[in-house]
Amino acid sequence: MHADAVTPLASDFPDAIVVLTPDGRVAHWSPGAQVSFGYSAAEAIGRVFDDLVVPVDRAVEQRKMLIDTLAGGIIAYESVRRRKDGSLLYVDVTTKVLDATAGETPCILSAEKDVTRIKVLRDAKLMEARFRDLLESTPDGIVMANPTGHIVIANTQAERLFGYDPGELRGRSVDLLLPERFRHAHVGHRSNYFLQPRKRAMGSGLDLAGLRKDGTEFPIEISLSPLRTEESEFVMSAIRDISERKSFEHALREKNVELANANQAKDRFLASMSHELRTPLNAIIGFTGTMLMKLPGPLTADQDKQLRTVQTNARHLLALINDLLDVAKIEAGKVELNIEAVDCGQVVEEAVATLRQHAEAKDLQLFVELPDHAIVLQTDKRALSQIVLNLVGNAIKFTEAGSVRLRLSRHARIGGDPSTLIEVQDTGIGIPQEDQVRLFGAFSRVGIPHAKMPEGTGLGLHLSQKLAGLLGGEISLVSDSGVGSTFTLTLPGR
Amino acid sequence: MARFLIIEDNPANLELVRYLLEHAGHQVDGAVNGSDGVEAAAAMTPDLVICDLQLPLLDGYGVLRALRERPAYARLPIVAVTAFSMPDDRKNVMHAGFDGYLSKPIEPETFVAYIEAFLPPTLRLQALSRHAEGN
Repeated sequence: MHADAVTPLASDFPDAIVVLTPDGRVAHWSPGAQVSFGYSAAEAIGRVFDDLVVPVDRAVEQRKMLIDTLAGGIIAYESVRRRKDGSLLYVDVTTKVLDATAGETPCILSAEKDVTRIKVLRDAKLMEARFRDLLESTPDGIVMANPTGHIVIANTQAERLFGYDPGELRGRSVDLLLPERFRHAHVGHRSNYFLQPRKRAMGSGLDLAGLRKDGTEFPIEISLSPLRTEESEFVMSAIRDISERKSFEHALREKNVELANANQAKDRFLASMSHELRTPLNAIIGFTGTMLMKLPGPLTADQDKQLRTVQTNARHLLALINDLLDVAKIEAGKVELNIEAVDCGQVVEEAVATLRQHAEAKDLQLFVELPDHAIVLQTDKRALSQIVLNLVGNAIKFTEAGSVRLRLSRHARIGGDPSTLIEVQDTGIGIPQEDQVRLFGAFSRVGIPHAKMPEGTGLGLHLSQKLAGLLGGEISLVSDSGVGSTFTLTLPGR
Repeated sequence: MARFLIIEDNPANLELVRYLLEHAGHQVDGAVNGSDGVEAAAAMTPDLVICDLQLPLLDGYGVLRALRERPAYARLPIVAVTAFSMPDDRKNVMHAGFDGYLSKPIEPETFVAYIEAFLPPTLRLQALSRHAEGN
């Protein structure tokens, strides 16, 4: 056995002394080899040396060196080995063909010295001189590692981030900075990284964590980029502590959940409020009605008059509740529009038909001007009708004498889509300039002496303006006190 | 004359509906919660049930299911009268299988005529002719 050729002295030697058969199997494995590579002699002997400790990207080099050794005697070179635990180390290798006794094939003696630390320190000195000032000037933690994953240089920000003393990280494995569960992935990233060295970010999609010296973790984002020098190539990791951003994101998520809950609570509240307010109104309006229907018996004129006042006010309260709910629903974004082809002329005529009686009761003339061709818009009919009814209803309400005029028309706009106008013009009391701004607010009756204030919820215009907004349009006003008002609903003409 | 069952937990509203229907010459029984309502329906075999939706013990939808389970009540007209008036409420009610939907507050002037329209044909005719006589 050629292993016998290795003197007992060699077993005390700290470097790895390995004897390989010509087909590359381990024939001898010194205690130094066990220390260097992690495999015991029992595990190593008989195995192919390359499978055991040679990284894939060094396999060609290794084969060539063995051939050269067999051909030429003694070869010295620098290479990389992989330990049993997967970590990489630099080695200075000297190989030599062992003298073959007659009839036997020659074996190869390989003495491999772990020079990782020496190499890192040498690289560190070079890199320090070249890059230290630059690295210290960046706000991120910067860690540069060599191809075996050993830290060559870490800037002060990185040391502080991970809780190490100045210089303490030099020569350590970068794995030290990652929690156990990320290490495998990280080594994977690293070797892939050297096969395809281009700038990319780690941890921007996944939740990556850094591991401090004291064992605590913190969320990080790493961006990797290659750095080539004449001596070697390095990976530069820019590391950012994103604890603050993470906790901000977390707070934001919680806030969103809270808001969604609050919104749901608001919806439930609206539904309950509507229900609870309507229930007593049912009895009030109902029994007022039965008495006015004289079901229990005849009424005096005073009783009749007073009951009608109760009825009118109860209905007013109901209208208020309905309008308030409508406003609340619009503001909560709960209104579902049913967009369909709507004939605007038809909507105008329906509104007029509904309100003609009211106009006639006040001796008002009601004029309608429709275009020659029907105007059909993609819009919500219910909302549009509600707006038109409100505008015409208001015009009748606030006009004591004269007329209310409805005009439907389409206007082309230069460089834009045509728009559809529904104008409601009255000869009523008008609205002073200073009150016009407040007019579309809730409960903002303006310009009317209180004693003469007609019935209304004070929400009609507010609601109409909001509905117009939902339909992509708006309501505008031209008015002068005493002359009358023209409200114009402008809708986009899709 | 028809036999009505009103399931309504608010005493004033039960009284209002009872008053209107009795005044129109109908016979009315009342129940103040859902499970009493289902029991009363079994005992009195009504021609029509008027049911609130929000009820103690068993809500209006539960009453509807319990009654529809019995073959004898498969075609019994059941009308929901409810103070729920959100846009989806009517849709939900009709989808659940109620025959009609009225939102509170009811209009006392038209309530009886509206409800009578859900009666079986012979009873509906009786009601119509009686109103004609009354007029």
